[in-house]
Amino acid sequence: MLEIVAQAVINGLLIGGIYALVSIGVTLIFGVVKIVNFAQGEFVMIGMYISFFLATQFGIDPIFSLIVSMPALFVIGVLIQHFLIRRVLGLNDLPQIFLTFALSLLILNLALMVFTANYRTVHTWYSDEAIHIGGLYIPVAKLIAFAVAMILSGILWIFLHTTDLGKAMRAASQNRDVAQLMGINPNHVFAVALGIALALAGAAGSLLMPFYPAYPMVGQVFVLMAFVAVVLGTLGNVIGALIASLLMGVAESLGIQFIGADSGLIVVFLLLLTTLAVRPSGLAGGRRQ
Amino acid sequence: MMRIRGWGGIVLAIVTAVMLVLPLAVKSSFAVDIFIRILLFAFIGTAWNLLGGYAKQLSLGHAAFFGLGAYTSTLLQIDFGISPWIGMVAGGVVGMLGSLPIGWLCFRLRGPYFAIATIATAQVLMLIFLKFRDFAWGAEGTTIPNLGHAPLMMQFEGKAPYYYIVLGLLAVALVITSLVERSRVGYYLVAIGEDEDAAEAVGINVPRVKRDIYMISSFLTALAGTFYTQYIYFIDPQTAFNFSVSIEAALVSIVGGIGTLWGPVIGTVLLETTSALLQSWLGNSIGGVQLTVYSLILMAVILWRPTGIMGYIAEVYARRRTKSTKG
Repeated sequence: MLEIVAQAVINGLLIGGIYALVSIGVTLIFGVVKIVNFAQGEFVMIGMYISFFLATQFGIDPIFSLIVSMPALFVIGVLIQHFLIRRVLGLNDLPQIFLTFALSLLILNLALMVFTANYRTVHTWYSDEAIHIGGLYIPVAKLIAFAVAMILSGILWIFLHTTDLGKAMRAASQNRDVAQLMGINPNHVFAVALGIALALAGAAGSLLMPFYPAYPMVGQVFVLMAFVAVVLGTLGNVIGALIASLLMGVAESLGIQFIGADSGLIVVFLLLLTTLAVRPSGLAGGRRQ
Repeated sequence: MMRIRGWGGIVLAIVTAVMLVLPLAVKSSFAVDIFIRILLFAFIGTAWNLLGGYAKQLSLGHAAFFGLGAYTSTLLQIDFGISPWIGMVAGGVVGMLGSLPIGWLCFRLRGPYFAIATIATAQVLMLIFLKFRDFAWGAEGTTIPNLGHAPLMMQFEGKAPYYYIVLGLLAVALVITSLVERSRVGYYLVAIGEDEDAAEAVGINVPRVKRDIYMISSFLTALAGTFYTQYIYFIDPQTAFNFSVSIEAALVSIVGGIGTLWGPVIGTVLLETTSALLQSWLGNSIGGVQLTVYSLILMAVILWRPTGIMGYIAEVYARRRTKSTKG
């Protein structure tokens, strides 16, 4: 029994690392730009397809294709900020919500047209490998994904706390007006925030590819997880999103283990709804903008 | 002002007359099917618009009520032999009651968080109906027993009767909307949509107004669920709680003009006609075309015309009027 629980916790933590990359991106955009990016999951999907094609066309290992997917998505993020999001900043909720929502629909359905709904998988030498410790089973592909996800989160944290640009981003997220008075150029900071957030989503996609199929709707699972994590952790807080993501991975995994294979999402949604019911004050950032 | 209202009345009378004879004149069942789709989504959009348009509570979970309505009437019909006509009203009541806990949870949040929470509630309901197969057929769903021509059981030969039912539903929703628009509550809703805190400050009981309009909106949406299940003779959790119902309800209103009486109708006509044309042009071979086009239209509206088509019409009209008074 203890072993089953331990195994479920391990599985949950490992996938939680991927959720963390997605939700850190969402929380970063929310913190800095004050926009909820409904399309974040679709950028995970784009990252997956980039890695899929690099793997099938050029034989590049999905983990190494991070070097392509992250910069590519960084550029996409800057462009989206410049051409789309910049135009709805300062408007009311409706354009802010539905712009990224429309973007999500657009990317998803374009992918459906171009790639069809077929599942695409990449098989690497470590896809089926696992480390056995005692009675526990740790899949190598997920372990690598988790490790890289934690390294990337760490790098982001160091960036936010030590570099001028990172500090400018944190300042902009704490108080935009004052930050602007201090000479921080908001458009520049917003573009970098979008770029970093999308690069993290792209990284999540590449890291998923050795053990998860790519298909146009794949991002929706991850974006829902990210929203819950972002709401559970304090909004705009990178560490909060990270911890919440790992916890949710574990909650989902325990749900699958003890309630049924199709119940992971129920547990996650119920977690969200119970939090809303019991501690709406924990969502202070979402209540007043 | 009187003159405009006069013209509006004439246009409305002509449109109503055309709508009433349309299925008699058009014999193609493909065309009538498209008309039914347009009326159905105009109806759902109008229901959404009460909450989302006037009070600006941007729900993305109206599929919850669509599904509750669909399942209530189907369970009553199959397990107890109760006519879907009664089941439809019962479904509306269940949807309305369902909006109470959902609203209690989700109205604590604002803006994007409200939208996300409503998505989650609709998804939870879908997952529950998928999971508990003893209760409502699980993932496989069920077909509605075909009784042939049975008007008392909401089953008809040919599509025209379905057309008139959904036309009637839309008319009811439009009348309700226009009554709400002119009532005190209508002004409360607009005030809440503009600025919730300010509305609260001037003494509007914001939670109660939001709760009441959510109940009306979800009652109507649930009726659509029953109608749709009867129309396609099939129900399963994926169709009943389909996210695309939630999306389209919001989309048609935004494109047509949020918070206006005719916005959802005009938005649906535009979107569904585009979709039908695309389908006859490309066939059903390529998935995703319809929503790709919808999302482009939505993006264009948000970036260039956030007030939708109705807003554009009002703007053009205002410009012409100032021109004519000047000249």
